Amino acid sequence: MENVFEKIYQMTAFSDIIADPRFLIMYALAFLLLYLGIKKEFEPLLLVPIAFGVLIANFPGGGMGVLGADGDGLVHYMKDGVMVAKNVYEMPLPEIAHDLGLMNYIYYALIKSGLLPPIIFMGVGALTDFGPMLRNLKLAIFGAGAQFGIFAVLLVASQFFTMQEAGSLAIIGGADGPTAIFTTLKLAPHLLGPIAIAAYSYMALVPVIIPLVVKLTCRKKELMINMKEQDKLYPNKQEFKNMRVLKIVFPIAVTTIVAIIVPDAVALVGMLMFGNLLKEIGANTSRLFDAASNGIMNAATIFLGLSVGATMTVEAFLNWTTIGIVAGGFLAFGFSIFGGIMLVKIMNLFTKKKINPLVGATGLSAVPMASRVANDIALKYDPKNHVLNYCMSSNVAGVIGSAVAAGILISFLG
Amino acid sequence: MGNFIYALELMGIGMGTVFVVLILVIELGKALIAIVNKIAPEEEKPQPKAATPAAVMPNVAQAIAQAVNVITGGKGKVDKIEKQ
Repeated sequence: MENVFEKIYQMTAFSDIIADPRFLIMYALAFLLLYLGIKKEFEPLLLVPIAFGVLIANFPGGGMGVLGADGDGLVHYMKDGVMVAKNVYEMPLPEIAHDLGLMNYIYYALIKSGLLPPIIFMGVGALTDFGPMLRNLKLAIFGAGAQFGIFAVLLVASQFFTMQEAGSLAIIGGADGPTAIFTTLKLAPHLLGPIAIAAYSYMALVPVIIPLVVKLTCRKKELMINMKEQDKLYPNKQEFKNMRVLKIVFPIAVTTIVAIIVPDAVALVGMLMFGNLLKEIGANTSRLFDAASNGIMNAATIFLGLSVGATMTVEAFLNWTTIGIVAGGFLAFGFSIFGGIMLVKIMNLFTKKKINPLVGATGLSAVPMASRVANDIALKYDPKNHVLNYCMSSNVAGVIGSAVAAGILISFLG
Repeated sequence: MGNFIYALELMGIGMGTVFVVLILVIELGKALIAIVNKIAPEEEKPQPKAATPAAVMPNVAQAIAQAVNVITGGKGKVDKIEKQ
C-alpha cells in the first residue's frame, strides 16, 4: 500500500516541486501577471497568454517549457531515460514535437523562425492611422528623439552583458513588444522570456512611467503650451486635397525608402506598412484587412504570448541576468521618454512656434496608450488643451523609429 | 572598454540613422502631399439628391451618402432614398 502511495507521489509534480521550491516563485510570478492582466487590465491581450504560458511551462513533468538552445544550437533533454543533446535547428519539426512537446514545436516553428513578430506588425499596421502624422509631419521627428533610451542603455549594458545581450536589452526602450521579440530572437534568443515580459510589462506601465518622467523633467509652464493656440498663431500652410490617395501612397513610399536605407528593418516596417496599405485601400481589400487585423493577428498573439511565456522556466528566469534586464529595461524606457522631451525643449529654444513637451514624451511606440496618457496630463494642467492628435504624430513615428533602431542593432550585432 | 567604445559608435550611428530616416519620411510626406495635391486632387462630389426632402432630412441623406462612399470605396452613388 505504501508503495502505491509512493508511486502516486512520484507521478504527481509534488516531488519535483518540493525538491526545487523555485517553481513556487514562478507560480507566484504567473499569478501576479495574470492578476495584472485580468484585474488591472494591463495589456490583457498579451499579458494573459504570456502569464498562462509561464504557469504551464513550470509544472515538472508537463513538458510545456521551451528548451533553450545553447550557443551551438544544442538542446539537452531526456529520451528513454538517457540524456541526449541534439542540434535543434537540424531536427525536423515532427521530431521536435515528438521529443520536446507541443510548446517547443510552436516556439521553434513560429517564434524562433521569426515568423510571428512581423505578422503581428502587419496587424498593428492595419490598426494604425497615419492621418494624424501626415497632418503634423514635423512632429514626427520626436519619434527619433525617443529612441535615445535604446542607445543610452546599450552603452551602460555593454559593460555588464555581451554586445548581443546588451542590444536585446536596450531595444526594450523602443516600447514595442514585437520589435523587442524580433530583435532578441536575432541577437540573444536565450533572453527572450525575460525581455518579452519586461517589454510588455513596461508598456502596460506607460500610464505610470510617462507621468513620472514628465514630472521630473517638465515645468508647469511648458506643460500648459496649448498646441491649438500655437497653430492659430502660426498656422500650418499645408493643404490636403486628397487624403485618401495620400494615405495609400504613403506606406508604399515609406517601405521603399526604409528598405533602401536599413534593409534589416524591412521585415518589421514592410509588414507594418503592408497591413496599413490593406486598410487604406478600402473596400477592394477589406477582406484581407479584416484577416490581418482580426483573425491572423489574434491567432498570432495567442501563439506568441503562450510560447514566449513558456520560455520562462526556472532555469531561464531565476538568475541575475533577468534582474539586470528588468532594471535595464526600466532605464531604457525612462531614457526614451526623456530623450523625446529633451528634443522638444531644444527645438523650443530655436522656434517661435512652441511645442508641448508631452509631444516628445510620446515618441515611444506604445500606440495609442502613450498619446492617451499624455493627453490626460495636458488636460490636468489646462482643461482646454487637447494634445492627442499632435502626440499621435510622434507616437506613430516612434513605431517606425524603433523598427529602424532594431534594424541597426541587428545589422551591427547580429 | 572595447565594448564601451563600440557601443558609443553604435549610439552615434543608430541615432543618426533613425533621425535621417525620419527626416526622409517627413520630407517624403511633404513631397507626396504636393504631388497628390497636383495630380490627384479630390473631385467635387455632387450633393446626393434626396428622394423627397420631406421624407429624408438632408443631413441624414448626406450621412448615408458618405457611408456608401466609404463602403464602396467611392464607386457607389446614392440615387434614391426611400423609407419603407
